[in-house]
Amino acid sequence: MTELALVGVTKRFGGLVAVSEASLAVSVGRIHGLIGPNGAGKSTTIGLISGFLRPDAGRIMFGAHDLARLAPFQIARLGISRTFQQAPPLAGLSVFENVLVGMHTRYRAGLGAVLLPTSSVRHESAAIEGAARELLATFGLEAQAQADARNLTFGQLRFLEVARAIAMRPCILLLDEPAAGLNDVERARLAALIRGFRDDGVGMLLVDHDVPFVFALCDRMTVMNFGSIIASGDPDAVHRDPAVREAYLGADPAGAAR
Amino acid sequence: MGGTARRRLEAAILAVIVVGVAIVPLTHSRLLLYNFTITPIYAMVVISLNIVLGTAGQVSFAQTTFMAIGGYGSALLTTRLGFNPWLALAASAVLALATAEIIGRPLLRLRGHYLAMATFALALGTNSFVTAATPLTNGSIGISGVPALAIGGLSFDDPVNFYALCWIMCALAMAVYALLVRSHIGRAWRALATGQDIAATLGIDVTHYKVLAFAIGAVIASLAGSLYVEYTSFVGPDLYDIGIVLNILLMLFIGGRGSHVGPVIGAALLTLAPQLLAGLERYQNLVFFIFLLLLILIWPAGLFGRVRDSGPLETMLPAWMRRRRREAGP
Repeated sequence: MTELALVGVTKRFGGLVAVSEASLAVSVGRIHGLIGPNGAGKSTTIGLISGFLRPDAGRIMFGAHDLARLAPFQIARLGISRTFQQAPPLAGLSVFENVLVGMHTRYRAGLGAVLLPTSSVRHESAAIEGAARELLATFGLEAQAQADARNLTFGQLRFLEVARAIAMRPCILLLDEPAAGLNDVERARLAALIRGFRDDGVGMLLVDHDVPFVFALCDRMTVMNFGSIIASGDPDAVHRDPAVREAYLGADPAGAAR
Repeated sequence: MGGTARRRLEAAILAVIVVGVAIVPLTHSRLLLYNFTITPIYAMVVISLNIVLGTAGQVSFAQTTFMAIGGYGSALLTTRLGFNPWLALAASAVLALATAEIIGRPLLRLRGHYLAMATFALALGTNSFVTAATPLTNGSIGISGVPALAIGGLSFDDPVNFYALCWIMCALAMAVYALLVRSHIGRAWRALATGQDIAATLGIDVTHYKVLAFAIGAVIASLAGSLYVEYTSFVGPDLYDIGIVLNILLMLFIGGRGSHVGPVIGAALLTLAPQLLAGLERYQNLVFFIFLLLLILIWPAGLFGRVRDSGPLETMLPAWMRRRRREAGP
C-alpha cells in the first residue's frame, strides 16, 4: 500500500524550529487528523510535504520517491494534492475553468494536437469537461459554473478549492484548514465529501483548528505543539493523552474548539 | 459585459476587420495600403505579446529582440549567404525559437518586476548590439537590398500581393492564439498568471509553460520581423528601438489583453495615429496622451480586454459618486 511517510523531519526558520523531528504516516483510504494550537507547525508540515518548503533534516517518502528533492509540480504529479488555508481562487477564470485547471494532468494532447485539433483531441476535451461538470454538481457549484471565481461566497470558495484539488484524482490530499469559516451546514457537507473521498481510496492529512470536526472524521490523529509531535495514534487514545490535554490548557480537547 | 456579449462584440469587430481589409486595396491609396500593410505585421508582434503577457501574465519587453532575429536573420541569410527568402524567414524563426528556449529558462524563473527589468535590458541590449556589431550588421547604416518573397510567378514585390500575404500571416497568428487560449495549454497559462503556486500544486510545470509561451511568442515575433524587412527590403537598428518596444506594449494595452481582435485594433490605431492626428500639428502628442490617459482610467483592460472589477477612474471618485458595488463575501 502506498504511504506518505515523514521520518524525523525538521524545519527551521532562522532560530525558530517550526517542525522538530516529526514522524508521521498517511495511508491511502485513511484520514489522518493533524491538530495543534496556533504555531504548532501544522501548515509548515503541509508546506514541507507539498514541496514549497525544504526540510533541514529528515526524509519525506512517498513510495520510493523522496519528496524533499522534488518541485511542487512533480510532487503533485505523483498524486499528492493540497489546498491552501486562504482558499485563493484562480481569479479571472470561471468556476468551471478552475476545476478544469485541476484536471490539467489528464490531458494527453500536446501542442501539435491543440493547433491541429483532430476528433480524438475534441473527444478528450469533451470527456474531461463532462467530468468537471459532474464534479461541480457533487460540490453543489453547478449553478455558479460560469461565474468568475472571485464572485463566490467564502464558503463556495472553500468548496471550489477542495473540488480543484480532488479534480486531479490524488492518492493523498492535504487539507489545510478546509472547515475554517464554514457554517454548520457547509461543515456537515464538507465532512460528507471528505468521507466520500476516503471511501474512494484517497488518503488525507486533515489539518484544522476545529478539533471536534477532525476528531469525528479521522482514523488516526497526530497532535503537534511548538513544532513537536506530542501524541499520535488512535483518536480516542490521543484524546485521553495527558500531554494533549495540557497543550490545550487542561481543557477537554474535544471542547476546545475556537 | 459578460463572456457571451464580449464574444459577440469580438466577432462583430472581426467582421469589420475582414471587410476593411478587402476594401483598402480598392481605394488605390498608397498611404492607406502602406499603413494597412504595417498594421498586420505589428499586430502579429502584439499577438505574440498577448500570449506572453496578456495570457501567461509574464511582463516581457523581449518582443523586439525576436523581431530583430527575424529581421536581421532574413536580411543576412539572403544577402550574404544567398538563401531563398522563404528559407531565410523559416530559419530565422527556428533561431528565434532556439534563443527563446535557451534564454527563457533562466529568465522566466524571475517574477514580476525582475522579469520586466531583465527583458527591458535585453531589448536595450539588442538595439545596442545590432548598432555596434558593424562587421555583421553594418551598424547604424543597416542592410538594404533584401530580396522579395515569391511563390512561383507570384511576386510579393507587388504591394497588393504583399499586403494580402501579411494579412494571411496575421490571420494565422490570430488562429494560433485562438486555438491555444481555449485549450488546456491556454488555461494553464491563465492559471499560472494569477496563481503560480496553485497551478504547481495541480501538477502544472510552471516554468515549462512560461517558456512555451515565450517560445511561441518568439516565433510569431520573428516572422513579423522578417515580413517587415521583406516589405521595406531594409533592416537597421531603428526598427528595434526602445520606442518600438513601448509602442507594442501600448498597442496591446489599448487593444486589450487577452482579446482576439484587440491586437489588430491596437496596432491599427497606433499605426494610423500620426495621420489621424496630423491636423492637430503640434498638439498631436498632447491629444494622444490625453486619449491614452482617459483610456487607462475608463477601460483599464483596454478596448476589448477581459473586464476587471472597476476602473481606476471610479476608484478616484469620492465615495458618493461611485456606482454601488455588489456585496461580495459571506
